[in-house]
Amino acid sequence: MSVAFADTVRSEWTKFRTIPSNIPTMLTAVALMVFPGALTANGASENYQAADEATRAVFDPTYISMYGGFLFAQITVGALGVLVVTHEYATGLIRTSTTVVPRRGRLLGAKVATFALIALLMGWVSSFGSFFLGQAVLGSGGAPTASLGEPGVLRAVAGMGLLWVLVGLSGVALGGLLRSTMSATTVLVAVNFIIPIIGPRLLPDAVGAWVQTYWPIQAGLQITTTVQSAEGMLPWPGFGVMAAFTAVLLIAAFALFRSRDA
Amino acid sequence: MIEITDLTKRYGNKTAVDGLSFNVHPGRVTGFLGPNGAGKSTTMRAILGLDRPHGGSVTVNGRAYVGLPRPMREVGALLDARAVHPRRTARNHLLCIAQTNGIPAKRVDEVLQVVGLESVARKRAGGFSLGMGQRLGIAVALLGDPKVLLFDEPVNGLDPEGIKWIRELMRGLAAEGRTVLVSSHLMSEMAQTADHLVVIGKGKLIADIGISEFVRQGSNVLVRADDQERLAAELTEAGGTVLPGADGALIVTGLEARQVGKAALDAEVVLTELTPQRSLEQAYMDLTRDSVEFQASAA
Repeated sequence: MSVAFADTVRSEWTKFRTIPSNIPTMLTAVALMVFPGALTANGASENYQAADEATRAVFDPTYISMYGGFLFAQITVGALGVLVVTHEYATGLIRTSTTVVPRRGRLLGAKVATFALIALLMGWVSSFGSFFLGQAVLGSGGAPTASLGEPGVLRAVAGMGLLWVLVGLSGVALGGLLRSTMSATTVLVAVNFIIPIIGPRLLPDAVGAWVQTYWPIQAGLQITTTVQSAEGMLPWPGFGVMAAFTAVLLIAAFALFRSRDA
Repeated sequence: MIEITDLTKRYGNKTAVDGLSFNVHPGRVTGFLGPNGAGKSTTMRAILGLDRPHGGSVTVNGRAYVGLPRPMREVGALLDARAVHPRRTARNHLLCIAQTNGIPAKRVDEVLQVVGLESVARKRAGGFSLGMGQRLGIAVALLGDPKVLLFDEPVNGLDPEGIKWIRELMRGLAAEGRTVLVSSHLMSEMAQTADHLVVIGKGKLIADIGISEFVRQGSNVLVRADDQERLAAELTEAGGTVLPGADGALIVTGLEARQVGKAALDAEVVLTELTPQRSLEQAYMDLTRDSVEFQASAA
């Protein structure tokens, strides 16, 4: 890492931590992941008691402990990513930033690197937190539990943190592309929440099934599973789809950021 | 030293700056003057690489701004003092910006003192008055201790004390041998601050002239004659400075009305108008009248 890039990253971290609402929002995202995750685990343990053999066979205590919370938390992470870029457009600070760092690629690159680290740390705190809390809830409800030593579990829990990074960076990219907090957050929620969650219920069956398997966030979530479902992608290829989707957004954001007048 | 050569910038099909060339020299305050919409801000943004020009070049100390490794150490700029996050403190705002160029926090405290904001350093910038915001913007420009400084309309909305402070600051910076370019649409302001004037209108250069020549006891004479060229030559010889005014008139500075009349007699041209101008402001308005974009017509 060049000195100039390290300086820019340091500045981006200062920018992030000196907006008073950012740290509380970050902690909110962690709480949104851990506590609804525990509620989902509680519900799941009740369902387990009532379930038949076939359902019990695909019961995935690792995934269940994290998925419910992630649905909520990912919106906060993505929105924070959006704000990393759009707050500068909203306040006009972007003109100062592009003046003092005229290499636009370096400026956006530093934003991406800084927020990736923030999202990764938040993601790991959340994923390990919800995993351990979720296992305790599942165990007390009489459902099977997982431990980090079992096959695929560590990959799933650590992978959840990586997924936070991708969701956060898709927010950064959308913020850079659209420059407005409102429109970028709307697109983000539509892409990562509305379409994959509500879409399959409204769309024709074939399209709905395709969305459920290959839509970036759905494919990416496979990394957080330890039981392979028939319709889902494999963990790493699925994660690759989400990573490629994020990369395309970022490349477009970089290209536009370099060519556009500030 | 800032060198601007044939700069052209369009927004859509509107030409904001049209083949503009001039240099800004160190050791003096250069006033950058023109009516609203003349292209002053566009030119300053082009100097800083914020806008990509469609033609021409701009260099700062011989290099393109975007190629400078530590730009704040060479060029400081006040473009828009309101461009701060309202909930960030003044000191943190400066710290974010300083860190991009590897400038230590110690320097942040120094500039806070220079601009007189040390007592509110840990207050949120959103609560600042216009004058305090302007001082914060100037602190940003000073952070890197740069040799070249750009100020875009720095006195807008300031009270008389603030205006006096900025004026003295700019004169002090120039006296230290720095290059200072300050834009304004007010002639009266520039008359008290600048050593040199660059006047533009509709994106084109109108005048690039020393303030003392332009002022010369405030006497400007508007003159028309049947042979303007011969008259202009005679006036220049007599020690005057001749600039083209509106509708083909000549604006003469440095000579009084009687001397202009004498020059016309010597050149054997017939004067059709000879009007001593009331003020510097008037001379400036005559100079730029043709290039004012929006003008109220007489009722």
